Amino acid sequence: MAGLSIEGARKGFGGTEILKGVSIKVADGEFTVIVGPSGCGKSTLLRVVAGLEELTSGRIVIGDRDVTGLAPSQRGIAMVFQSYALYPHLTVYENMAFGLRIAKAGKAAVDGAVRRAAAILGIETLLDRKPAALSGGQRQRVAIGRAIVRQPQIFLFDEPLSNLDADLRVRMRYEFAELHRQLGTTTLYVTHDQVEAMTLADRIVVLRDGRIEQVGSPRELYDRPANIFVAQFLGTPRMNILAATADGAGKAILADGQSIALPALSATLAAGTPLSIGIRPEDIVIGETSGALPFAVRFVERLGGLATLHLGGREGDEPIACQLRDDGSLDEGDIVAASFPAVRLHLFDADGQALGKAGE
Amino acid sequence: MTLRRWSVTLLAALVALITIAPLIWMVSVSFMARGEAAQFPPPLWPANPTLENYHLLFGTFGVGRFLINSVLISTLATGLALLFTIPAGYAFAKLRFGGRDAIFRMLVAALVVPGQVGMLPLFLELKAMGLVNSYAGALVPWLAGIFGIFLVRQYCLSIPDEMLEAARIDGASEGQILRRIVLPILTPIIVTLALYVFLSSWNDFMWPLIILADQQLYTLPVALAANSRQNVQDYEIMMAGAVVTTLPVLILFLALQRYYLSGLLAGSVKG
Repeated sequence: MAGLSIEGARKGFGGTEILKGVSIKVADGEFTVIVGPSGCGKSTLLRVVAGLEELTSGRIVIGDRDVTGLAPSQRGIAMVFQSYALYPHLTVYENMAFGLRIAKAGKAAVDGAVRRAAAILGIETLLDRKPAALSGGQRQRVAIGRAIVRQPQIFLFDEPLSNLDADLRVRMRYEFAELHRQLGTTTLYVTHDQVEAMTLADRIVVLRDGRIEQVGSPRELYDRPANIFVAQFLGTPRMNILAATADGAGKAILADGQSIALPALSATLAAGTPLSIGIRPEDIVIGETSGALPFAVRFVERLGGLATLHLGGREGDEPIACQLRDDGSLDEGDIVAASFPAVRLHLFDADGQALGKAGE
Repeated sequence: MTLRRWSVTLLAALVALITIAPLIWMVSVSFMARGEAAQFPPPLWPANPTLENYHLLFGTFGVGRFLINSVLISTLATGLALLFTIPAGYAFAKLRFGGRDAIFRMLVAALVVPGQVGMLPLFLELKAMGLVNSYAGALVPWLAGIFGIFLVRQYCLSIPDEMLEAARIDGASEGQILRRIVLPILTPIIVTLALYVFLSSWNDFMWPLIILADQQLYTLPVALAANSRQNVQDYEIMMAGAVVTTLPVLILFLALQRYYLSGLLAGSVKG
């Protein structure tokens, strides 16, 4: 095993630059998830690490080896694709053995490696089947098995759960986590699904438009987002952002004229400074407290144990999402008192960059 | 069965009968005695079936030699065509190289030029190369058919890039990818293409007629045409010759038609 270092990676196609100088260090044995919206360059980043695309400039270092100019097979990586990319005319066994056979490994070595990987993934009984005779989850396991057999230094996963149904996705997420615990191989995992990122990652890299927005543990990114993009990308429902103006006396005036108390860090803000105030839906407190503001309930999404209230002052305003335990007492049209605890607020400047979180 | 289905079946049977009737009569006449088919009205079946025409054909006229020529040229044409068109079609679909799309567009544009137009320049070219009146000369036009390249390319487009990339990560060279991953997937289209080239080269009349001057090198259709001039009245012998020419490819086609059709359809749908 080895760590991975991506240094100043740039990649363009024609006149369009997809990666605009990305640098990431993945420690030995770490599970790093690259997350971002469609077209942010995350798959391209994975492909340049794999060697399937050439970098325009920058370096890829695996362990202490600069692999930038090496062919994919010489980089010590294995990749699992979104579409599984199994060879349809070969059995599961042959699919998994393919790489070792190309490398002219001995028959016993091939057999041992394939059966070991099959045992880890619980697919020993499928070895004689062709991919067409497998379910989506089984195909995914075979694709992972093919990667394990190569005994790579780095695992690369390109949206591996996107083609699975919701139930299976949850189960495979658990299996990925378990597999990583078992093998301890350095992993770079690309997804657009923030739930996968939050649940699997030791560290998350949020990518937007070919640039890194923030790197950190799931908790860090959730609690201390560096900007509005990261704040809203992680978490469902996403963080509420309210436009406001500092009054210079520890409070902010919202667009509708109501005021809310700001955390201590706002003390330095001059009166009239434009702000964006972020608050996560689960941090809003419903109930009469001092400083609570009245809101009409526009819509209720009941999820069983939890409910999401969409609160709105005026017609056409972006509703404020608020998540709470559903006791069935609130309904559309009700007027509720909602307060925004200063300690739970995130403040962003006019450019959307975090001013620092309350209480820090 | 509904009335509609009955009428469709009946219509299909009728069309099939109209199509196959001349073929059946061809076989029937080939077993008639000399002059029997020239009677009026011509009989449908031989009064006394005989193999005399086939004896004459293979004995006096030496059709065996032409049959071997045809088998040889068609088999070689098929093998060579596959050898060149499969890698070419694959490369046009899946490999990145400068001018790929421009070259392919040029090739496709050339499809609209009738083959006959190219025959004279091709003949002059081969003459300069000293290949006139040789098997090699007869084979050249089959080496890399644009239609074949197009067919293979369209089918290859349906192979996911990720599968080839997985093989590259597994350490396979481009040659190994083509041999071990792509070729097995291409099986239906390879059968289709092989059959298409074999049938086309077997039935080809014009080019062998132009390029082969030596009678010993004649293919069946050319030999048959040459014989028809001196045996124009001998329907029975002519028909026996036609049977020898048609039957092998007819059997081949019937045996492989399932793959042939599925290959053509796959190419069109997936492309």
